[in-house]
Amino acid sequence: MTAAEWQIVWFTAWVSALSTLVILPPGLAVAWLLARHEWPGKSLVETVVTLPLVMPPVATGLILLKVFGRHGMGGFLHNRLHLDVVFTWRAVLVALGVMSFPLLVRSARVALEQVNPRFEQIARTLGAGDLRVFFSITIPLALRGIIGGVILAFARALGEFGATIMVAGNIQGRTSTLSLSIYQSWFNGEDTVAYRLLGASVVLAFAAVWTSEWFMRRSRK
Amino acid sequence: MNITKWLKTALALLVVSGGVAANAATITVFAAASLTDSLGEIGRDYQKHTGNKVEFNFAASSLLARQIEEGAPADIFFSADEAWMNTLEQKGLVDKKTRRRRLSNSLVIVVGTDSPLSIQSPSDLASEKIGHIALADPQSVPAGIYAKEYLRKVHLWEKIEPKVVPMGNVRAALAAVESGDAEAGIVYKTDAAISKKTRVAWAVPREEGPKISYPMAGLKEAHDPEAARAFLKYLDSDEAGRVFAKFGFIVDNHTR
Amino acid sequence: MNFLLQNISLPLADFTLEIDARLQCQVTGLFGPSGAGKTSLLDLIAGLRQPASARIVLNDRVLTDIGAGVVMAPRLREIGYVPQDLALFPHLSVRKNLLYGHKKSRETEPLFGLEHVTEVLQIQPLLGRGVRDLSGGEQQRVALARALLTSPRLLLLDEPLASLDASLKAKIIPYLCRVRDEFHLPILYVTHDEQEVVALCDEVLQMERGRITERRRINDRQT
Repeated sequence: MTAAEWQIVWFTAWVSALSTLVILPPGLAVAWLLARHEWPGKSLVETVVTLPLVMPPVATGLILLKVFGRHGMGGFLHNRLHLDVVFTWRAVLVALGVMSFPLLVRSARVALEQVNPRFEQIARTLGAGDLRVFFSITIPLALRGIIGGVILAFARALGEFGATIMVAGNIQGRTSTLSLSIYQSWFNGEDTVAYRLLGASVVLAFAAVWTSEWFMRRSRK
Repeated sequence: MNITKWLKTALALLVVSGGVAANAATITVFAAASLTDSLGEIGRDYQKHTGNKVEFNFAASSLLARQIEEGAPADIFFSADEAWMNTLEQKGLVDKKTRRRRLSNSLVIVVGTDSPLSIQSPSDLASEKIGHIALADPQSVPAGIYAKEYLRKVHLWEKIEPKVVPMGNVRAALAAVESGDAEAGIVYKTDAAISKKTRVAWAVPREEGPKISYPMAGLKEAHDPEAARAFLKYLDSDEAGRVFAKFGFIVDNHTR
Repeated sequence: MNFLLQNISLPLADFTLEIDARLQCQVTGLFGPSGAGKTSLLDLIAGLRQPASARIVLNDRVLTDIGAGVVMAPRLREIGYVPQDLALFPHLSVRKNLLYGHKKSRETEPLFGLEHVTEVLQIQPLLGRGVRDLSGGEQQRVALARALLTSPRLLLLDEPLASLDASLKAKIIPYLCRVRDEFHLPILYVTHDEQEVVALCDEVLQMERGRITERRRINDRQT
């Protein structure tokens, strides 16, 4: 594997991990809101959150491009905040985050719904405020399912293609992920490169699943 | 609280990285795929001379123009045809004062090195022995547009069109011929020159071929317009001209 | 002790809980068949359920006054609640469970300190264990201790001995008596066992379909 190929592997793993990290707090918050309460507009939010899961990824990518690009917030971001998003690694981060968000929310929601509300109620009578109840009781009891959701989100991010290529392009050294590179190198007739990258993605996926299994086993004690 | 820690780390990373992008004059050049090898070498030379780094995004000029139009951060655009540069100029994205044209190219018909085909004239492309002809997408990519323009001129387009396999860029068209997926393809002479698995079956004479022109310009939203102009100047130099000529480009020593 | 349960109205599945009573004894029993609304009443007092109307005042502290728009949050009520299923946190050790609501600063006297409470209920050897490793009776005492360690002003016990067999019940009742006598807390004790009523309560309220049908004085003890 050449240095450039290692860079692609490292970049993919790093940006997938970061995107999963970034969507974790809002993901848990949304999962919590959907799990516990009834409120006006809830079904609308449910639907919107699920959309990236169901829509063609390139369509989602196009929406992101219009939102963050020159025709959307791009001008403001570039001029006022000196921040470039589209066709930079930040766009990859956004694409991966958006595409894996619904997976995280769905898993976390199920896990949170399965926590017996009695535990939370008793915690309140013992003097805990809402935040403390959430972090000391709800999350730990839902942890297995939440971790499952995190792994799922990470795996989805690792393999993202459609939205990424739209909003970030496949710019070598800058936004090139494993999936994009495998496609591009095959496309350009660089078969051996494609196979090496393919091997790397198998190893990466294997490592991710192995780690999640190990974690599940540990937390079962 | 673990979650607060995660949040802070993620936010910090995002914010800090805003400044990471532009450090010590890194110039971003969006350039046509056919310039990959020549510009790559020129960029390395430039870095050796000046210490400034040049980063390239090589792709079809159509895709690059699209990306720039949508807000991709780039300092210089080096297109394979005037039309795409004009599009960006009309949108007010080009620094008109820096626009110049130096390079030209010519088209060739390539076949695989092992291919038994012999092409005496372009009309041989209509032969039954050729099932697929690889072109860069004639709808948008300059190499494909030039090829179509030429085939139209010699009244072959309609006959050949059903066999055309449109590819994302000219290098992909070349790869299709190299792999044997297409029996023939039309690419730039400079692409055929670096390919080891194809041979030129027929070269389009310069007088008959389309006018190929590679305009380059600095972009208005460049992060470092000074550095961009410096590199453009270098691209205009004799040194760079030698590299381009080495790869087979037709180098014009007038500007504009 | 002056515990006002005024004008309470809470619609339930089959009937409406309607209570209007003033409690002045230390240990008041709530006696009645299952489904009579006893647990709902406890939930209400603890602030875990919102009634349609109510005015609940414990020793001059207004916990709920729907009319005046006052609903104190459960965590501020300083009420110790031991529910029927105990709700011991399975992911925390016994020690962590016990100390969950314990605030040294809130400790009114060493009375509600870890040492004293664990001594009264004799659970010191259990501290390092996991909650799942405990027997039924041990879990009961831990749940009770956990509520006590918050220095509550009122203790709500929902059928604490319901899931125990006769011999175990006989063993735990003395602990409950100790709690009653050592901590001097007002206690609301839900049960459908006559024995427990006689052993522990000063007064018992009979409940049926959401209403108090009878009030009986049991013991002539000082409050």
